Parts: sequence; C-alpha cells; structure tokens
Amino acid sequence: MSEIVQEYAQSLKELTFNSRPIIDTLTTIAAENTDEGDGILDVITARIYKCLPEQKLFALYLLDSICKNVGNPYNILIGDDIFKLFSHVYLLVDDNVRKKLQNLFETWRLTKAKGTNIPLFPPGELEKIGAFLKKAGPVNNGNELSNSRLIRDIDELLPIFHNKLNNNSNDTKLNERFNALNQLKFLLQNQKMQPNELKAVEAQLNTIKHQELNRSSTSANSSPNSTPTLRSNIPSSLPATPKVNTVPASSANDLFDRLINEGIITFEQDFNSPRVYEINYPKGNPNDHSDVFSSILGYQMIRSEYEQLKYNELNKLKVTSQSVQGFISSPNVSIQCKNLLYESKGLKCSICGKRFNTDDVGKNRKRLHLDWHFRISQKFKSSSNVQSRSWYLDDVDWAKFKDENLLEFQVNIANSTQSSSQFKPQESKEIPYVIIPSTETNMNNKCLICREQVKGSFNEELGEWCWYNCILQPGEPKGSRKIVHANCYNETRKRGALEDAHSGLKRERI
Amino acid sequence: MELIPGFNRPDADVESNLPITITIPENHEWRFEVPFKLSLSLKILDGIAEIFGTELPINTDLSFSGVKYSVYAPLPQGCKLQYTLKINKEQSNTTNEPASISEYISSDTLSMKQVVNLHFYLEKKRQEATDRNLVNQHSVNQTPAPKVLLLGPKFSGKSTVAKILCSYGFKMDRCPILVNLNPRDGVFAMPGALTATPISDNFDLEAVGGYGGSTTSGTTYHNPKQPLVKNYGFEDFAANLDLYRHHISKLGVATMSRLEEDIAVKNSGVIIDTPALTIKDIRLIEDIVSDFEVDHIVVIGNEKLSIDLQKKFVHKVSNNSLCIIKLSKSEGVVELDESYIRKCQEETIKQYFNGYFRNPLSPFKTEITISDFVFYQPVDSSEFNSSLLFAPSGDSFAPDATEETEKKEDTLDKYYKKIDDFSANNLENLVLAVTQLPATNKSPNDLLDACILGYVHVSKYEESKGRLKVLLPVPGAFPRNILIATKIGYTE
Repeated sequence: MSEIVQEYAQSLKELTFNSRPIIDTLTTIAAENTDEGDGILDVITARIYKCLPEQKLFALYLLDSICKNVGNPYNILIGDDIFKLFSHVYLLVDDNVRKKLQNLFETWRLTKAKGTNIPLFPPGELEKIGAFLKKAGPVNNGNELSNSRLIRDIDELLPIFHNKLNNNSNDTKLNERFNALNQLKFLLQNQKMQPNELKAVEAQLNTIKHQELNRSSTSANSSPNSTPTLRSNIPSSLPATPKVNTVPASSANDLFDRLINEGIITFEQDFNSPRVYEINYPKGNPNDHSDVFSSILGYQMIRSEYEQLKYNELNKLKVTSQSVQGFISSPNVSIQCKNLLYESKGLKCSICGKRFNTDDVGKNRKRLHLDWHFRISQKFKSSSNVQSRSWYLDDVDWAKFKDENLLEFQVNIANSTQSSSQFKPQESKEIPYVIIPSTETNMNNKCLICREQVKGSFNEELGEWCWYNCILQPGEPKGSRKIVHANCYNETRKRGALEDAHSGLKRERI
Repeated sequence: MELIPGFNRPDADVESNLPITITIPENHEWRFEVPFKLSLSLKILDGIAEIFGTELPINTDLSFSGVKYSVYAPLPQGCKLQYTLKINKEQSNTTNEPASISEYISSDTLSMKQVVNLHFYLEKKRQEATDRNLVNQHSVNQTPAPKVLLLGPKFSGKSTVAKILCSYGFKMDRCPILVNLNPRDGVFAMPGALTATPISDNFDLEAVGGYGGSTTSGTTYHNPKQPLVKNYGFEDFAANLDLYRHHISKLGVATMSRLEEDIAVKNSGVIIDTPALTIKDIRLIEDIVSDFEVDHIVVIGNEKLSIDLQKKFVHKVSNNSLCIIKLSKSEGVVELDESYIRKCQEETIKQYFNGYFRNPLSPFKTEITISDFVFYQPVDSSEFNSSLLFAPSGDSFAPDATEETEKKEDTLDKYYKKIDDFSANNLENLVLAVTQLPATNKSPNDLLDACILGYVHVSKYEESKGRLKVLLPVPGAFPRNILIATKIGYTE
C-alpha cells in the first residue's frame, strides 16, 4: 500500500460524523491522486463495509462526492460495485438514514458523469438499486415528493392500462391516456421538477389511480400481469390518496386551471367519479402526440419563479395595441413591474452588472458566469492571449446559428439542449461531412488534429465529393481544405472545458 | 500620468485628478460627454444605475472616451457615482474637440418613462406570443412577437431607444434581433454595413459606439455577438437606393428565417434602427415594413411623420396589422458634428481590426497582387445626380419609368461596377469587403447575393508593382475571393 493510500486510510477514520470539510479534503486528495484511484477506492469500500452502521452513510457520502466531483476514473472503477455497496448500507441502517440513501440514489439517477453525458454509474447497477428499493418498499413515507417516486407510481399504473388495452384495444381514450402516462414518465426521468409541479403531477396520478382502483380493483388484482411488487405497493400508496385533498389547492389547481384555460387539458366529471383530466391533442395530427404533450407540459412545468412573477405582473398591465399610445403617456408602471428589470432578479454580478435569478438555476448560472470572468481575466493576464477577429457567417449559417454558443453557460447549455432536444423531433444523427470545393484537385486530405489521412468519397445524393466524418476547422471560410475530424474536434474541446473547470477548482481553494 | 509642470498642461479638471461624486435622484439622468482626448473612469458607489438600459456594476471602474452617454437612476433609491478624468494617451493629439467634459443632471426624463412603458407593452406582447406559440406549435397561425421599426429625424435618439429596448428585452430573458439599417454606424461591424444581430447578452458600453464586437478566434473580455453583415459600402443610405433596398431585403429574408429557426428569438421579435427617413422615403419604409413583417412603427419626436404614416398605412392600421406609436424625443439627445461622427467611424474600423483597450486583437499585414483578384465597387448613383446631392434625402432618385426598363435587364450595372483602372484614389486607405465568392467565379450577377467574410483595409497601393499592402483581420492566407471596394475610408 502506497504512502498516500495509507495516509488516506488514516484520515478516513476521522469520518465518524457528517463532516463537510473532511469530505471535501478527501475529495480533493482523491482528485489530485487519480493514479492511486484503485488504492483509494479500496480503503473507502473497506471502510464502508467495516465501520459502524451509523457511520456508513458518511463514507458513502465521500464516495458520492468523489464520483460526482472528480468522476473519471473513480465512478468507472466503482461502478460495478455500487449496488452491492448501496444495498449493504441500506440493510444495516435505520429509516432515517434510509431516506437519505434514497435521496442520494435519486441524485445518482439524475447526475451525469463529470464532463460527459453518460450516467454517473452503469444504468444496470442503478436499475438493480431501483428494483431493490422498490422491493424494500417506501421508507416510512415522508411527505417528500420526488421524480422517482412518481415514476414508481406510474410504473404501477402502466401494467393496469396495458392489460386493459390488451382486452380493449379499440378504446382510443384509454390509448391516449396510456401514451400520456408514458410521456409523463419520460418527462419525469429527464427533468427536474419544482415541488409544486410534482404535487400537481401527483394529484393527477392519484386521480387516475383512485379511479382505476375503484373501477377495477378486481381486474387489477386478478390480472396476471399485476406483479407481487405492485400488490405490495398499493397499500402503501393508498394513504397518499386522501392527500389529493390536502395538496395546497392553489398550486395544483392553478396549474390545471391554466392548462384548462389554454385549452391544453379538458376535464369531464360525472357524479360517481372524480374529475378526469384529458390532454387535448390537436386534431388531425395523431402522430405528433408525444411531441405536443411533452413540450406543452414541459414548458408549463419549468416556468421559473421569475417567469411566474413576470407573467403575473404583465397580466396586470391593461394595454392592447389599440390603447398603447395612452399607455405610453400614462404614469409609470408599478414599482413591482419595473423591478422585473432589477431586483426581481436578485443576483447581480459585481464585475459586469449582469443579473441572475435567485433560484437554483440562476445560482448555477451566476457561478458559471463568475468562473468565466475569472478564466477570462487569467487569460488576459497571461501574454499568450493572442486573438483576432473571425470571419462572418453567411446567411444560411447565421440563420441556423444559436447564440448560446457565444455565452458563458456553454457547458450547461450543452447538457440542457441535450435533454430538451429529446422533446423536439429527433433529428437523425447525420454523419458530418465537408463538401470538397469544386476547385480542389487533390481529394486526399488530413485531419489537422490527428494528422490521419482522409480520403474523399462521392455522395450520390448531393452529387458532390465529400470528406466524411470531418468538419471545417472552425473559423475557416467555406471552400477551405483545412479540415478536422468531428470527433477529434469534440475531444479537444472537451479537454479544453475540463482544463477550464480545473482552473475554477484551483481558484476556490486559494 | 506624470506631467512636467508647464508642459503639455491639460485643463484643471484633469490635473486635479480628484474623484468627483455625483448623486442622481430617482428618474433623473446624469448626462455627460467625454472627448476622445480624455478618458473618464466611472464607478457606481451605491444604488442602481444604467446607461441606455445596460445596468452598471457596483464599485467597478468603467472607462469611457469619446462618448455622449447618460446615467439613469430608475429606482426610488437613486444612485451615487464617482468619476475621475485623465488624458487618453492614445488620442491626446485629437484636435477639434473641447478639452474638458461637459456634464449635468437632468430631471427631464419624460421620454425615458415612455420608453420604459413601451418596453413593458412590448414584453406583454412577447409574453402573449410565447404562450400562444406554445399551444399552437403545429399550427400555421403563429403569433409573432413584435417587430418594431424605429423612425425619426436626425438626432432624435433612435439608436438610443433601440439600445434600451434591446437591453431591457435581454434583461427579461429575451433575445431580440437588433437590425441596424443606418450605414453611418457600424453596429457590431464596419460603417457602411447593414446588420442584424441577436442581442443575447448585455451591450459592451466601453466598446466604440457602445455596442460591442463580433466573434474572435479566442475568448473575449465581453461575450461577443454574431451579426449578419451586409456590405452596403456607403455611409449615406441614399447613395445607391437600389443597392440599399436589395441588401435590406436580403437581411429581411435571413432575419425571418432566423426567427423560424430559433423559438427564443421568435418570441422576442425584432427592433429596427434606421437612418433619418422622412415621409418622402415612403417607398423605402414600405419595403422595410414588408421585408421585416413590421407590426409596430415607433416614431420619435416627429408628430407630423406619425400622422403621415397613419394615412399611408391606413389599411394596415385599420385591420390592426400595424400599430403606429409616437414617442417624445429626449431633451438629452446631442447633435453630433461631422468630425465627431467621422472620428467614431474611424474608431469603429480600428476596433474591427485591433480590438479595443479591454480586448486587443492581432490583425495581420500582408501584400496582395492586384491581378490575382477581381475588384468591384458599389455604384454611387448620387454621383449621377449630383445636383440632387443636397436635396432632401431619399427624394426618389430613380424615376419609376426608367427603373422598370432597368429591372428587365437585371444587370449588375446599377449596383456594382468592376474596377479596371486601379488608382490610389479608388483603393488606397479604403476598406474592402471580402466576399464569399471565389475570384474565379464567372457569373458576375452572383455578386449581388454573395455574403461577405469580413473586411480588409488597404494601407498602400504600389502602382509600379501592382500590389496592395493590406491589413487582414485573420492571420493566414488571403482568401482568393472577389473584393468590393467600399467608400469607407480610414487613414492609419
């Protein structure tokens, strides 16, 4: 065992309480000694298995911190053992800690490995944990709502619908609701929701559940597909049903009223059953359900606090195109309204005056923004910062250009567009290529990064010779023969982002 | 800066070098003008302050030179600022300028209140458009966010209003496209250019003109913008109205497709800044309205013009597809003299190649052989109508009858002519636009639709060698493309 690992094991013994400083320090040491990754992970796993049950959580927290903040190689090395570790701890701790473990697990489902777009841990392992937790049943169910709990709820409902559909495949309404549930599940898996939005979704789910169970509890129980887990879960989720009434009326109803007002959702009500909400799909466009549903719902749900405030303030302004002249000469807009430009966006950058929302998204953006200021000032201090004006884009490229690429939130944006693009019609993954300029006589070329040879091949659809899997070196005009492999380019960019991130880390330590 | 007593002595303001503190009450403006030869360092000590809609940071020095700005205090707490002056070393020999700053506090911010109200009206429209577009994603009848055309006489503050509306829009999470149709100003580009630029971040107040720059090969001090640039090549919009209209329509097409491509931009709309157009330019105004699908015209400081426009657009106004709004002109607008405008243009050109003090750039000096390239220049139709040169601008230069016959021919002649007689006169000290069209291109009409890569500057024409000394923004090979010699000049 190397000296570093021995010291690490020693410091690890101090982790007898939930100490942020110790975890941070140990994370930093792990980050600086990735060569010793195997050894470090060995002592941490040993600690998790051997320490007192009440201290296990903290060691697991350390492991979590290292995997999230350092990532490669730790998350990869430990990936295949994560279920074993998790279940081991889970079985030995009390309900309180179990709840924390569940929360921890939920963050794992939502977190991507640092600097990449792949899940933090292997999906297979995460599924095992999910199944394990399902079997273990909800802990003493607190009132906390989470994406994964709702996903579980949906998972319970889906087989019921599935059965019904099998028996009655012509029921279009049933079909629609089945699809809607699937969409909702998809949404929950891919998006972080505000608590009140979760409540709204829960209320909706409960309505459906309530109804299904009332109408056809017999069929659900007798159906061959209703697995034991389903049955065991129904009682535990039943106490939640009365909560429909306790959901703060404003949040859920507001949302639904808005949806109803905008014609997205309609409801029917008969005397015996609770309200049934139906998603209103545009007529004559049956193939687009998913898209419409998810983007409408998605949008409604991600309206931030600031956007809600803005919506309300603007609604108070009574002005139309006809009355605008009078409005403009009228006394000023209210101070609340004016403050939408100022204090409603409570975080202000001290360097440039740019404002950010006070919610988590805003805080994160401000953090990225400050990191960016820091990086820039470092770069400008070093003499290596030589740059020159770029060429302009042509009309077509400009029309397709996304201004996110100019901003400091790029890392974030890349992730969010990744997830939001799933709500847009999926663009087929096209192979990038560069059309060989007609003036070019030499079809052979090479990637400026890896220096590998690239041969031209003929694209019959276009009727042009192309270099495949390549893009023009950024900044090069059309017709240039300076090309790079798309993969090489992305790799170098990633590396750049990583270096940038590291410089951010260093600053924090100083 | 150490100064030898009695030598090169600046005025008292500068010499004392003591910070001066100013307190601005709510809804007041501190208006100040700084000549190029001085540099004013400004710091907000307390409160909320903005310059043309761009909010200033607290306790951070901003440095201004050659500006006519005003600091506005929008909120009840007002604001407090401090400034110091020093000699701007790079520009200390600029003549023709006052040697001190002028500054005063004004309570006359009626027009500012109107602009704020106008913004909130536009934002309400944007909100409606956003919500409806969400529900009707798949319907053809999407509701556009407002597309606003700003009109008004010279020095009525059109560009300032455009800046405020864009800044406020950005602050409320929008990304409006700022279209500049005034070739006198280079907005994110060169003078002589017409541009469309999504405003996805604050303006850079310290940059020349107070807009900021386009993209560079590195990371910039202030986030850059990505303009679409059409090279018109004259600073006077009426120099070749056909060419001007042609570029506007191209810009319009591209802007409309950008709106289709990007829902965030679509939900934010367009703000169009213009040169001083009058009712005599009604055909041009009609073109702009149709090219950009304008639904709001804002007329600043000219009641008569707004009434005339109501009459001309009576159909559109009566079916609610166009809304004409009038705004008062701000008393703070300064009349710019020719030498100041000229100086700003030169600084804008310099900034394109060399960047500015916060963000220097490295251009590239090279030589090219004239015979390797093909040169065009835009036709100055006002040369043919020299008697009309001082007639009211836009006074229909091309009589309708002859224009029709010309259109049938559809030649390049009325837009560009090829340069065959090279001279220092038509090349030296001028800015050339580099098109995206290879010099080998055989059909000259393509030139009309060619986009441009950027600009180069010719510092010397060596007649004997047939070579040009040029400044290229981008290091590396000079693109073998058709070049257009603009009428925008600049001497290093």
